[in-house]
Amino acid sequence: MARIHIDELPPYSPPDQAKKENVLIVAKLMVNAALTAPLTGGVPGHEAEIVYGQKEIEHVAREMERLAHKQVPKKLKKPFLYEAVMARESDVIVFLGNKRAHETPMDVGCGLCGGEPDCSFVYDRVNHFNGLIDATDRSRETAIKGPLCVLRAHDLGYVIGSAMWIAGKHFVDAKSCYSVGLAGRNLDICMKSELVVGILIAAASKNPYADIPPNYHLTNMAKQIDALRKISTITRQIPNHPYHTFDPAPKTGSGKKKEE
Amino acid sequence: MAIYNGLDAAHEHLLDVAKACLLAAGKAPTLTHRIKLMAEIVTDEDMDPIIDVLATLGENSAFQLHDAVALQSLQKQNKMPPILLLGADLMKPALWDCGACGFKTCGEYLKYIQTNKGLGVGCYGPTCVWKAIDFGTMCDYAAACSAQHHVESRIMFSIGACSLLLGHLEGATMVLGLPIGPLGKNLWFDREAWKETLNFDQKMMVQLAGGPTNQMAFSGGGNPIIKSKPDWWDNPTFMKVEQDETFIERDVNNKAKAYEKIMRYQGVFDEDE
Repeated sequence: MARIHIDELPPYSPPDQAKKENVLIVAKLMVNAALTAPLTGGVPGHEAEIVYGQKEIEHVAREMERLAHKQVPKKLKKPFLYEAVMARESDVIVFLGNKRAHETPMDVGCGLCGGEPDCSFVYDRVNHFNGLIDATDRSRETAIKGPLCVLRAHDLGYVIGSAMWIAGKHFVDAKSCYSVGLAGRNLDICMKSELVVGILIAAASKNPYADIPPNYHLTNMAKQIDALRKISTITRQIPNHPYHTFDPAPKTGSGKKKEE
Repeated sequence: MAIYNGLDAAHEHLLDVAKACLLAAGKAPTLTHRIKLMAEIVTDEDMDPIIDVLATLGENSAFQLHDAVALQSLQKQNKMPPILLLGADLMKPALWDCGACGFKTCGEYLKYIQTNKGLGVGCYGPTCVWKAIDFGTMCDYAAACSAQHHVESRIMFSIGACSLLLGHLEGATMVLGLPIGPLGKNLWFDREAWKETLNFDQKMMVQLAGGPTNQMAFSGGGNPIIKSKPDWWDNPTFMKVEQDETFIERDVNNKAKAYEKIMRYQGVFDEDE
């Protein structure tokens, strides 16, 4: 018989790790839901990858921060930095990638990509031979190498939705992010996909993805805890004394009645 | 106090489920946080124009015919479920400069769409890819809500495209149809009405066209026989790639016919024209 103690603090302590294992189960169920989501024509075309563990998540968070400073437009800088904090507070990350949008379009002339009744908008702008797209040149000038088949990309929405639905049904908090997906894809997570979205998942008393104060990358709880460690270390050194033989606290007011 | 006809009462309840599905779609988590859902619930004879246009397009395309026949049959049996039309304007960019649409920046994209907005087979474009993904999540939530109510549903591009062309959800660049029902099991998969629409040979031809190698004989000779009959070696058949003027002409005429109907429904022509 085993006793499994579960508590969310301190992070990555055995009680927190036990909780994370529960969340990992939900992440796996989310992937099931993602892979059975309704798709255009029911055509399979998605992959999933689960990232679990402190270091593994840290790698993703750092790439998000690199993107924030070096690549994405200014207006996305702070959202990317904030979401890196949320990633570190997550128990698991589920990545969902679309393998088709950049390589095997729906070829139906729906009109979404270029507003034309054929697929010329995409094929005129990508490297292909008789409609077979050569995606082997993976160099990119933009975050995502476009254009993409938008009808295929639309499918990714269903995949994300089904995963998020299952997260909700299991009362774990989840947040789907462009930032997490982009960072993961740059790290070769879901490497067959050009379009990748990351879903942060956590079981916590406070939803880590809501109520975000300004400059959250500097004001989050991990920073506050670290600040407390930093300050309390200094503070305790100032009013010090030989505690074995001396107690500066007044004798009265200690809660005990003074002996007559 | 009352005794209800159970099946009729259940059928009436589908409208409430459709409303619940819409609430679910509205609560779907999005990536851009900048997408506005549009919706209509179309019932009974208000589906007639949509089905009519769909059936017209179906005269030359199995895809549209497949859905038109199913809807016509439900109409005849008085079992038409409420049809949820979900739509959104997916053209306004998320302003992330991600490049997924094919332009380096959202600014370049915005410049392009000033003069290049247009209509495809069933949607307006160009489109911001992330808006298209968010719209997918919303539709998924609607479908998942229906499943939670143990109600059949199926996201249908065909219904959405015809609705868009007929002027439903003005301002939306993409519309999808989601029938909420009917009562029953797997009716959108196992379509009774489809049983007699295509004959055995037609069904096998669709299968052959979809995967000719499955019926291909030894391919080393360079022009392999396609096994299309029991004694395939006698008077063998081969595959040929060629332009099909007859089909193209039929397609053009068919689309013209469908668009004429759409314009009539839209009131572009006078009744006596």
